[in-house]
Amino acid sequence: MFCEKSIELIRELQRISDGQLPAFNEDGIRQVLEEMKALYEQNQSDVNEAKGEGRSDLIPSIKLRHCCLLRNQRCVTAYLYDRLLRIRALRWEYGSVLPPNIRFHMCSEELQWFNQYKKSLANFMRSVGGEEGLDITQDMKPPKSLYIEVRCLKDHGEFEIDDGTIILLKKNSQHFLPRWKCEQLIRQGVLEHVMS
Amino acid sequence: MDPSEVEFLAEKEIVKIIPNFSLDKIYLIGGDLGPFNPGLPVQVPVWLALNLKQRQKCRILPPPWMDVDKLEEVREMERKEDSFTPPPSPYYMELTKLLLNHASDNIPKADEIRTLVKDIWDTRIAKLRLSADSFISQQEAHAKLDNLTLMEINTTRSFLLDSLNCMFKLRSNMQPGTSAGKALDY
Amino acid sequence: MSAALSDEGSDQNDSQEDVMTPVELIAKLEEAWLNEKFSPDLLENKSEVVECVMEQLTHMEANLQRVRKGDMKASLHRMEIDRIRFVLSSYLRSRLQKIEKFFPHVLEKEESRADGDPSYLSPEEYAFAREYLANTETYLKAVALRHMPPNLQTVALVKAVPEPCLDSFVFLRVKERQDNVMVEPETDDQREYVVDLEEGSQHLMRYRTIAPLVSTGAVHLI
Repeated sequence: MFCEKSIELIRELQRISDGQLPAFNEDGIRQVLEEMKALYEQNQSDVNEAKGEGRSDLIPSIKLRHCCLLRNQRCVTAYLYDRLLRIRALRWEYGSVLPPNIRFHMCSEELQWFNQYKKSLANFMRSVGGEEGLDITQDMKPPKSLYIEVRCLKDHGEFEIDDGTIILLKKNSQHFLPRWKCEQLIRQGVLEHVMS
Repeated sequence: MDPSEVEFLAEKEIVKIIPNFSLDKIYLIGGDLGPFNPGLPVQVPVWLALNLKQRQKCRILPPPWMDVDKLEEVREMERKEDSFTPPPSPYYMELTKLLLNHASDNIPKADEIRTLVKDIWDTRIAKLRLSADSFISQQEAHAKLDNLTLMEINTTRSFLLDSLNCMFKLRSNMQPGTSAGKALDY
Repeated sequence: MSAALSDEGSDQNDSQEDVMTPVELIAKLEEAWLNEKFSPDLLENKSEVVECVMEQLTHMEANLQRVRKGDMKASLHRMEIDRIRFVLSSYLRSRLQKIEKFFPHVLEKEESRADGDPSYLSPEEYAFAREYLANTETYLKAVALRHMPPNLQTVALVKAVPEPCLDSFVFLRVKERQDNVMVEPETDDQREYVVDLEEGSQHLMRYRTIAPLVSTGAVHLI
């Protein structure tokens, strides 16, 4: 059956939940492209025959092959485009440097796309609203003017909180800090939220 | 919309606090606050009230509606009426949560208030489910939603809107020649 | 320190002709934020609001630099700055997400708009959308399309990428009364009818019907 390989590419992404990026299926793409090449060549020769020898009985199979070609093209682009959307989401989740295990799943063109996306986004953020620009990958959650109890998991040095007070983040020390100031440090594993 | 964003909007509501410090009038971008004098009530947004409270710099006065007698009345009305009665505050649920979690020592009969607000919420959400159900089964094109709060709308938003869009797509795909169904294609 | 911050107050008090006060400006930003969040389509850009808010933030941050550490007033200002910056970032993010999602359509609309019409994209957004399109086209070509048969080496992205679904339902609150808003029937056996949108009332209806009212500010999406 034609188009089975390309449907398999689509299924592959559908099986894996939205946030995940499976390994780039280079082999699958290659097989679809080969099938397309074969379909196209067969059509070329049938078209010539149909024209040259008036074999109008060949027309239905030419049409069928053409539909398969279109479907293959559509499935391959859908596969690639869906992966780009997942890769785009990674920029927002991980920042501009991707973990090696994720890069490992990307093909070199995807890495190029990612790097260009990063650049476009950075240009955009630099040029927003005047000279200073604004990093819109920060402030993902509404700020909370509330304080939380945190414990320091490693030495981090001095840290300035919103009212300008400077505190020393020393391993195992506990602090009462504005929550929104700690979020990044909690993500980085410097602080942990002490649940009371 | 994330519930934390609805809460963020609720934090703009104004409450009265009694500060224990003095501070001149302060000119925020979004409006003036203060002056603050120890013992004198002053109006501030909830986000500020909660912060000052945590730093033990003020006592929060519960909003007038956050009162057992008043809320009992609201609950009775809400149970009696088929339609939505005016909510005690456009952010009653979020404010109850915020104030009871962070300033319960300033709210008389906090536990009773928590239960009453929960009852009111449950009654309203049950009505909301019923009306969403009939909206969909009657295939209505317009509904008036007065007195619903943003948090209430938000609890049903994605489910209701997704269902409506899905039904729309199914319907328009049945009619040949329309292009509406292609929106999620590809 | 009080000198540093009190000139902020005088800014607010002399309301110049047709210049928004900071209070109005923040209200405009919040309205634009919620409208953009809930609208299925990309709305007109509000560059002037974004720029004015950025200016306010920069100005305030600069003033705070001169303030004594640990000052109570400064901490209140910083909390407010964080709140405003969140709304601003979230607003710009919502727009960028839609631009990415609908890029071929967004660009087509922007490039085919008549001269006097308001532009949907800010100059920065336009540059971003063009780069996004070029990047994506280059990518598809390099990985697959150029290896396909000669007649299949291009894909019309405008046909392939989904369009904004203007038939989505939205929740809205009415700011200025509107009479005789047409409601189109959902099924063949229903008839169209009109509703009046009273000031302060809330509704659930299709975005398409009220889209012009969102852009004039007569209704707010919620």
